[in-house]
Amino acid sequence: MNYLLQQIINSLGFGSIVALLAAGYTMTFGLIGLVNFAHGEVFMAGAFTAYFILTILKLPFWLAILMGLVGSIIIGLLVERLAFKPVRGSGMITLFIIGLGVSQILRNSTVMLFDARLKGFTISSFLKGVYMLGEVMIFKKTLFIFLPVLAICIILVYLIKNTKLGIAMRSLSYDTQMAQSLGMNTERVIIITFIISSALAGFAAVSWGYIYGSVHAGMGVYAVVNAFVASVIGGVGNVLGAIIAGYIIAIGGNLFIAFLPPDLVGLRPLFVWIIFFIILIFKPSGLFRANIK
Amino acid sequence: MSKNPLLKLNNVLAGYGKMNVVNNISIRVNQGEIVTLLGSNGVGKTSTLRTIIAQTDLKKGEIKYKDINITHFPTYKIAELGIGYCPEGRAIFGNLTTKENLQAGAYLLKSRQKFKENLDRVYSLFPILKERSNQIAELLSGGEQEMLAIGRSLMNNPNLLLLDEPSLGLAPKLVELIGKTLREINKEGVSILLIEQNAKMALEISNYGYLMRKGSIVLEGTAKELVADDRVKEVYLGII
Repeated sequence: MNYLLQQIINSLGFGSIVALLAAGYTMTFGLIGLVNFAHGEVFMAGAFTAYFILTILKLPFWLAILMGLVGSIIIGLLVERLAFKPVRGSGMITLFIIGLGVSQILRNSTVMLFDARLKGFTISSFLKGVYMLGEVMIFKKTLFIFLPVLAICIILVYLIKNTKLGIAMRSLSYDTQMAQSLGMNTERVIIITFIISSALAGFAAVSWGYIYGSVHAGMGVYAVVNAFVASVIGGVGNVLGAIIAGYIIAIGGNLFIAFLPPDLVGLRPLFVWIIFFIILIFKPSGLFRANIK
Repeated sequence: MSKNPLLKLNNVLAGYGKMNVVNNISIRVNQGEIVTLLGSNGVGKTSTLRTIIAQTDLKKGEIKYKDINITHFPTYKIAELGIGYCPEGRAIFGNLTTKENLQAGAYLLKSRQKFKENLDRVYSLFPILKERSNQIAELLSGGEQEMLAIGRSLMNNPNLLLLDEPSLGLAPKLVELIGKTLREINKEGVSILLIEQNAKMALEISNYGYLMRKGSIVLEGTAKELVADDRVKEVYLGII
């Protein structure tokens, strides 16, 4: 029992990262039908910014979080303005291919500039250590991402459900022209959505740094695949659903290998696809009702 | 027509892509008036309204609202100036609840007080919407959706309301209610440009009207003149 509980708690760190990415992903998907595969590189950009602040410049941790968010937001907005805006209104396939292309360009440029090796991430001392809950260990660093994600989750759900911005997002996703005729400025809402989703990715990226102790150019790939699947499972356009599904995937993936013989550990990435296909076959609209869309 | 024009279309040519649907149309709506666009299906009435809110490709001519040239304004700016639009076919947001639809309609309102007032007014015009306020709008009946669409277009306190076939497919009793509602909001100072299949109802409440055929205006005049005109009778009794 303790073993099971321990596995679940260990998954909360990665689960929070997937949840944050999936939430941002599902917002842009719900709003403009964008399968944004460049989201992984927006995430990576935040991690690299934080890495420079912490490891190279040896500046304080709070500044790394702040600049990580800023780094992701800048790259996220640039991608939106330069790559997606010019093709606004074209089909999902066009957007999908452009996202994939941008993702390749950003990742390989990063490899060219900074090489593909792991970059050690300085971890502040207050993030080190564990709390004991009976016989179960909880890492401080896990709590440092899990608790903020709970708060972020509440804020996002409130934002989408109750604020003018949330209503504008949902209206625009349903009928853009009608929403515009009520005075909603589509471009403004899209920009704000990208800022929010990039900021979530930035926070996830800094967390990745202190949870795994290193960042690298390809870190977005695995994370974004998980986030994509989580957004589908959560019901595309449903932020709360995406967050819950992010945790389901991370915890499920961990338990999947925890109870498999040790030489099958390499099968871990398989789990997310198994879940993905089960959902697509039996409940293609996702587990939860979409609210943006 | 010595009154101030609120909205003026001057020789407007517009359409979709290469196709022109609206051919050199000139229309004016004076402050405080209800003006009707008549004509059978497919003559470009809806496209004319959509041209005003910049949802067609405008190729020639100009549109003025309160002496501001809005010809090349984006849709949301036109809404900000006080032009409300209620499209045909119950274009409500099916993913939102009834109340959220009305909140979406009030997007441009700054004060909560004003929102509350407008919400109460819509609820008193259409009490059924209050009962359905937490229901997903997709699940409302056709008539309720139409009422919601009209109610939503009133939430922003428009100065000029563009209404596209508000009575389409509604029970006679509802048509009457909508006619009454339009007169009421007109009395409060909202000018209306109306498209209506129900020509009798439309001309009863209108001050002025235009008859369209194949994308052009073929006749205009006061409501009284139009009721008596054979061409108007022909459109509504003969062709359709």
